[in-house]
Amino acid sequence: MSEVVKLQLIGLSVVGIGILILLFIRASFVRVIGFVAIVLGLFTLVALSVPQMASLPPVEEKFDIATVKTPTDMATIGQKIFFSKGQCALCHTIGPSESARCPDLKGIGAKLSREFLFESLTQPQAYIYLDYRHEGVAKEYPARMPYINKNPIGLSRNEILSVIAFLQQMSGEPISVTVTELDAPGQAPAAPAKAAQSGPVAVAQAH
Amino acid sequence: MGPLIKLIILNVIAYVICKFVVPNVPGSAPLPASLVFLYLMLTTSGFLIFATLSAESKEAFWGPIQRFLTGENIGGLQAVRYGVLILFPLLVGWQTYNNTAVSDAPPSENRTIHPAPPGEYTGLSSPVAKTPDNIQQGKGFYAAFCSPCHGGNFDGKGPAARGFNPPPANFSDPTTIAMLQESYLFWRIKKGGVGLPIEGMPWKSAMPRWEVELPDEWIWKIIMGEYDGAHQSPRTWE
Amino acid sequence: MQHQGGWIQKLLRSSSGHGGTLLGLVMAVGLLSLPALAFGADATPAAPVEYRDVPYVGSRNIIWVVAQLHLLLAGFVLGVPIFAWLCEVVAWKTGEKRYDKLAKEFTKLLTSAYATTALFGGILLFLLISFYPKLMNYLTDIFFPSFIVYCILFLVETATLYLYWYGWDAMQDGGKKTFHIFLGFLLNFFAFFIMVVPNSWATFQSSPVVLAEGSDMARAWAATWNPTWWPVNIHRLIANVVLGGYICGAYAGIRYLSATNTEERDHYDWMGYVGNFIGVFGLLALPFAGYWLMREIYQYNQQMGITLMGGFLSWLFILQAMLIGVLFLGSNYYFWLGITYRIPGSEIKYRKPMLAMLIALLLCLGVWMTPHSLVASMEEARKMGGSHHPLLGVFGVMSAKMTVANLMILVTFMSFIMYWRAGKQETAGWAKVAKAIMGAILASAAIAVIILGVWGYFVPAIIRINYFSTSQVLVVLGVMLTITPLTALLLRSAKTTTEMVWGKMPPRAGYSLVLNAVMVVLLMTLMGYARSSSRVHWHVYGVVRDTSPYAFSPALGYAAALMSLNTFFFCMLVAFIFWVATMGDKAKAPGGASKVELPQGMPAMAGASSALDEPKAH
Repeated sequence: MSEVVKLQLIGLSVVGIGILILLFIRASFVRVIGFVAIVLGLFTLVALSVPQMASLPPVEEKFDIATVKTPTDMATIGQKIFFSKGQCALCHTIGPSESARCPDLKGIGAKLSREFLFESLTQPQAYIYLDYRHEGVAKEYPARMPYINKNPIGLSRNEILSVIAFLQQMSGEPISVTVTELDAPGQAPAAPAKAAQSGPVAVAQAH
Repeated sequence: MGPLIKLIILNVIAYVICKFVVPNVPGSAPLPASLVFLYLMLTTSGFLIFATLSAESKEAFWGPIQRFLTGENIGGLQAVRYGVLILFPLLVGWQTYNNTAVSDAPPSENRTIHPAPPGEYTGLSSPVAKTPDNIQQGKGFYAAFCSPCHGGNFDGKGPAARGFNPPPANFSDPTTIAMLQESYLFWRIKKGGVGLPIEGMPWKSAMPRWEVELPDEWIWKIIMGEYDGAHQSPRTWE
Repeated sequence: MQHQGGWIQKLLRSSSGHGGTLLGLVMAVGLLSLPALAFGADATPAAPVEYRDVPYVGSRNIIWVVAQLHLLLAGFVLGVPIFAWLCEVVAWKTGEKRYDKLAKEFTKLLTSAYATTALFGGILLFLLISFYPKLMNYLTDIFFPSFIVYCILFLVETATLYLYWYGWDAMQDGGKKTFHIFLGFLLNFFAFFIMVVPNSWATFQSSPVVLAEGSDMARAWAATWNPTWWPVNIHRLIANVVLGGYICGAYAGIRYLSATNTEERDHYDWMGYVGNFIGVFGLLALPFAGYWLMREIYQYNQQMGITLMGGFLSWLFILQAMLIGVLFLGSNYYFWLGITYRIPGSEIKYRKPMLAMLIALLLCLGVWMTPHSLVASMEEARKMGGSHHPLLGVFGVMSAKMTVANLMILVTFMSFIMYWRAGKQETAGWAKVAKAIMGAILASAAIAVIILGVWGYFVPAIIRINYFSTSQVLVVLGVMLTITPLTALLLRSAKTTTEMVWGKMPPRAGYSLVLNAVMVVLLMTLMGYARSSSRVHWHVYGVVRDTSPYAFSPALGYAAALMSLNTFFFCMLVAFIFWVATMGDKAKAPGGASKVELPQGMPAMAGASSALDEPKAH
């Protein structure tokens, strides 16, 4: 017997008990209990009569450097990080939205250089524009942005680079982060600032 | 037994409407048994509510039934009463058996057509500008890749559509793409039928995984062409 | 953690030869040592423990039952003071003593109900700390300032409750009564914040915000203001009023069924009427709050919105429609029974309107309960061309559901107005005009709602959501806000043709009151499951992942069985609380001695009370 059938039989017998109580017992409180039993049993039976489907959690994915072959692979991983572990989507949106609490990141990969993006993620207070579209002298403004490379979010350098790759892809830009920049496991990670500057050029400054 | 007969007649009428009238309206189709059952239940409960609103109407409805079941001196009906009292539990038992017995018919299914997309696809927006050129290009891609199934008129009636169950989506129906955001379509086109979560029954859909054939930019253009061609607009938050 | 159950099984197997007593003994010892087991099993110091489990039952099921019971009791404890305070204010304003007695009768429950709620809260806390240390660590880290606020609120609330309850008789007249009313207000004020603070923890789990560096206070404050916090607060506040009202109705219903004399029958009939009235009053506003909440969820995260409305949980909303439908039908049924039984001779006059309203309600319900994806066999699906029906599929989307929900609210409101006006004859000269205007308002509102609903299919989703759905809501609210005062004005000069007779309702009225209460409780358990499983495999959505074996969401049938169980437990708990609280009155009531005490405002229980105030028509 499957679990559904077992539960159906339980539901049916609860309804049956309720009916028996209503038929044979006079005490009004017991009758009310019988009535409630019928109602609850019927509810369960109705819920059991639709096709049953449990929702299983998806497999947890890990950043595996061996699977990354092209910048597009990086962007795909970056996409996942952006919407899950990195928690970026808790505030930022891509495209306008009423629920956005922070700047809309649509086209950000075209507007900002990758070095600037890297710095915004790792040192959010360093260089803030009131309006990120603003050009000219930077303005002092306390950002609500957390440090992405520290706890509680704590993305690794590889992960941050992937997110940048994703942002560039979403802006319709050529991805300027290359696979060779990623730290291989075991190797000591390069200093973030230096690594960011030493990246291949082709920094798009569109518009 | 006036009211009881009324109840039966009412249910028969409701059944006839569900079974023979609604399916013959142009553009309609036969109703599944579950839906017919739901409507009959609503009819019956409505009748019961109305019949028990006052003491008189309740007596007119319930009195004869009660006398038939428990009254004395009902003459020839005595045998019928025993028949009912024996048959009713048997009917319940038979129903229960039918529901639990192993059968070779495939179980009823409830495929969720628009399941929730994975998180990483919920917040995307198109990097391709909405220009007439791009829309036109998207329609061209649509004609080449999508129209064989989804139809040149965006109505889900392409030449290859008839071979599939479930059939290809009809984009001109206001309950399909008009309810969804562009990013949702991007996910469905990119990942295809096999990318559906379990409640969408990935084993049923024949939609190809277009990510292996088309670059992202083309997919975004196809989406624009699709909305434009089907005269729908995507769900947005603006 | 899987090995915990192993030795119990071995013991059971080895003892099976020794007869039932030994088996029972071993089971009992095993059960008693379960908590110890759960702690003992994770002695390895390697990594911090993330989850602990209980064999056979499962830690999640235990948490599910306890959390649900705590929430239901909390809803009851917060709903009853609102209900009692409203009754007290009515008594204070109109001078009708029986409302004051009703209020006192329910306040009497509060001390024991409050203790039971706190008890379950404590159990829940201990279980959460034991079973989900990882999650509790995370939440404590963010929210500990508000934990302290919560404790302080508890102290203040308890003190106010004691003053309110024990001071009831001492503060009966003049300025003292005003102070007592103020105390009642304070009680509800603190109670509201007692609800609001834990709501922030629960809503943070479903809609977290990013927390930047900052002081502990700043972090807790930022986390508290998450996107679904206020929608949930408002939704729960209204739902608590509904729960309080319907539970009062159910209590009255049960007492009415077992009443032995006419006085009791009169009193509990009237009490059932008041309970049902307050329940319906809240119910009419509840869908609007629910709609707002759903909208915020959709906006916060499309994935969560689709999981709820169109995805894995879409069938849950069909069940919800069924329960709400029964609730609407049950409430209207009670109104209609009231008209035919309490106002003699009115049946013929109102039969036709009642039939029309019933049919309207059923048609709306039919649309509401028609799912978008249908359950169909392979053959049927092939004929329909997919799992949605080409014609009836249009009933499956939001535009249709919003429309019928608004129409059902309108019909219920009409039902209420009809009940209000029954048995009265308007004497004012402008009565005819006023009635015509009211009819025109109702008809045009219904037409406007339908037109907006149909039009909604042909405009972009955002226009429908932002303008059409909100206009529908505003139209219905506008109707209520114009017709209610108009009717009140009209009836001020009306003469009563038929007095309302209490205590004549048939037993099925009592059962329908019980049914309504069960439906409300079931709805709350159902939506508790919805809220929890919309987070899918996350403890804190998108931030803290559930890595326990219970990360999956169970299927609807299994969940419904647990919901029914929870509902049953809750009903029994409430019955117990009522029984304990009224035990003293039963001892006093029979001798008739209580009548003497009544003028001093002594026990309002038992039928004796209503003998003093002759029922007046409302």
